[in-house]
Order: sequence, then C-alpha cells, then structure tokens
Amino acid sequence: MLRRIASRGTPAQREAALATLATDQTLRLARATHQLLDLGARRPPLTLPERAKQRTIYDAGHQETLPGRTVRAEGSRAGKDVEVNEAYDGLGATFDFFAVVYDRNSIDDEGMHLDATVHYGRRYDNAFWNGRQMVFGDGDGDLFNRFTISLDVIGHELTHGVTGDEAKLVYLGQAGALNESISDVFGSLVKQHAQKQTVGQADWLIGAGLFTSRVNGVALRSMKAPGSAFDDPVLGRDEQPATMAGYVHTTMDNGGVHTNSGIPNHAFYVAAMAFGGYAWEKAGRIWYETLRDRRLRQTSTFRQFAVLTAQNAAQLFGASGRKTVAAAWKEVGIEVGR
Amino acid sequence: MHIDFRIDGGLAVFPGLAKPVSIDCAALPAKDAARLGELVRKADFFGVPQPPAAAPMPDARAYTIAIDDGLQCRTLTFAEPIAEASMRELVAELRLRAGTIRRGGGTR
Repeated sequence: MLRRIASRGTPAQREAALATLATDQTLRLARATHQLLDLGARRPPLTLPERAKQRTIYDAGHQETLPGRTVRAEGSRAGKDVEVNEAYDGLGATFDFFAVVYDRNSIDDEGMHLDATVHYGRRYDNAFWNGRQMVFGDGDGDLFNRFTISLDVIGHELTHGVTGDEAKLVYLGQAGALNESISDVFGSLVKQHAQKQTVGQADWLIGAGLFTSRVNGVALRSMKAPGSAFDDPVLGRDEQPATMAGYVHTTMDNGGVHTNSGIPNHAFYVAAMAFGGYAWEKAGRIWYETLRDRRLRQTSTFRQFAVLTAQNAAQLFGASGRKTVAAAWKEVGIEVGR
Repeated sequence: MHIDFRIDGGLAVFPGLAKPVSIDCAALPAKDAARLGELVRKADFFGVPQPPAAAPMPDARAYTIAIDDGLQCRTLTFAEPIAEASMRELVAELRLRAGTIRRGGGTR
C-alpha cells in the first residue's frame, strides 16, 4: 500500500510514504540487528558463505607504492619468484586454518579477498598490515631475509586483520600488546596447524628463519621463553618479559606493544602446554572465542582479557578448563579471581 | 647539514635498531652529501606541513627526522606508509644509510 503511494501518489503523498517506509525499514533493520546481537558474539553471515579463497599477490617492484603490479591471482600456477609463492601459500594456509578450525570465512568472516604486496621498498626490513592488505619487504639481506619466509609472520599479519574486524583492540599500551599477542598466538597456530604439530612439537617461535646467519638469534620472539629470541651486537637483546613483574613502561613502540606482548604470549603457551594435544583445539579455541566476545573492550587490559578467557574456558571446557587457564595467567602474574 | 634519524616500531622491537642515528653531512663524501641535500630539498622538508596524527597501523613504523641545515632546524615524524613520494625517498635513503652506520660504516 505505502509502496503504491510512493510510486503513484502526489509528490507530497510520495514524500510522506517514502519517509514512513524508510522509518519502517530502519525499525526492521534495528529489530533484525538486535536479534542478531542477541544470538551472542557469533554473527551469522547474511548470505551462505562460500568458503573460497580469493588471493592476489602484487609486486611493488622495490617501490613503496601500493598495491603494485598483479603477479599471481587465485588458482594460477606457481612461478619462479619465491616471495610471490610464499606469500600466496601463506595466505592460503592462514585462510584454511581459520576456515577449517574455527569455521571463519576469511579475515572479516564474510569472504574478504586476501591481498599481499611483495618486494616493497629497497632492502626494506619489515612487514605490516595496512588495514586492507599485507605488505612484505625483501629484508636488507644483511640482518634480515625476505619477510615472507616465516608462515607464522604471515599468519601474524592477517590476524591483525581479524582483530581489526572483531575486538578492534586499540594499538596502544596493554590493549595494543594484547592485539600483538593475539597475532602471535594465531600466527603460531597457523604454522602448527599447517605442520600438524602438537604442543610438544611446536617451536613456539615467531619469525624463525627471518634472521640471516650473521645474526645471533633464532627468531623475533619466543612464546615459550620470552626474552630469549636474540642477543646480537647490532640488533640488541630481546627484552620481552614473560611475567607482569617485568612489564616495560615506555613511550616507544606505542607503549611497548611488541615488548609486553610477551606476557599474554607466555600465558597462552602455558595454557596450551597444560591442555596438551593440538594447541588450536582448546587454548586456541578459548582465545578465539574471547577475541569474538562482545564483552571484550577495545581498550581491554591484560586482566580484563584474562578474566574473559577464563569464562570462555569454563563455557567451552568446564571447570577444569577454567582452572587450567586461570593457572596459566597466574604463572605470568595475573589473577583472574574466582 | 646535520640529520638525526630514528625508527620506531615495526614487526618486532630491536633495541639496537631503535637507537637514533646521527649523520653529519660535512663528514660524508661530497657526492653523498649532495645527494642527501637534494633529497631534503625535493621533499621540501622545511616547508611541508606537520603530518596529521593517525591511529597507528599494526607493525608499521614511524620515522622521526630532525634536520639542522645551519639556518633552520625542524623535527618531523612520519608513520608509514608515507603519502608523499619525495618524502618516501628521503626516508628510504636515511633508512639505508642508518643500516650502514649501524654496521660500523661497511659490512659486518
């Protein structure tokens, strides 16, 4: 009826009818949104998701302009460029991990295309997620190899995309260190899943293989033993703390996000070791549900995050699960209470 | 001309790489000093507006450059990716030069 008026009535009638329709539509949307939110942290996709990877790899040609020239699209065969192939395979392994283990359809759970640029800059020794895509440098060749070399680094970067879609933890202070830690946790799990490693077989390192043989170090970080990854005359010493007693207060690195992440990293490691088996099945599941938990705030502290992991552990694995997670946080100096 | 250059952030923290590097152009070979001077001029380092503060991007770096050319002195911080091509070129050059200095002037 209103729709008929909207299409056939006088201009004034049309305007009124359209306004009513718009309000009605807004209320409908609000109701539907409310229903969706009431289902809990899980957000059902609006359409049936197709679990299909859509990867595109670009080559920046040693410039710093993004994204660069398309060099490999989904389904095309591997070429000769190692970086291109590693990026392509790494994006695939990360997509598969989240799809198979947590039923997640890409970074945004809505099938987001996965884009990555390799050969970014001259002797560029970094990799980052710019909110839309991954960016990899070739490394300087002196201290760093190519940044596509470690699958956990690729998983780390894409997990920044997942966090940006879910908890949106601010990249500062404790929330920033949690953001970093979540990327290390799932980056490591992507590698463990791809290699079918149990908690005992995993190396719990982030970025193994990234250093050249000239560096005195094994990786960027160690979740098993934070602070032990490198000690080198040029790079300096790994200063990650494993417990709250060593928490570093600094204005650098957005308040030490890559330093203090050692604390939640180690808590995850301790919990995963206590659960045993494959880390993605219990500890990983608890951390993933916490990342999606509506109660997790963008400015969450370590303790607030820890309390939610304990609650999710209880929900998923009962009292013993909760006890295991609480004990892991206690080991790094964080009490989650009863 | 004197340049102080500092790199902050990145995929991991390396205390050795986070230390500021000082470049005294008078001590450089004339060709290198001229090239740096040209990059600073092209980037309009003393004329560009202060880059706006933006929410930090995960694992991206911020570069702080302080330049004293004898007449004026200015400090700017840029978070990557840097929009202006000429400023990107200056930062890329300083990054490579900082790497050389950290390695003790040559290869390790």
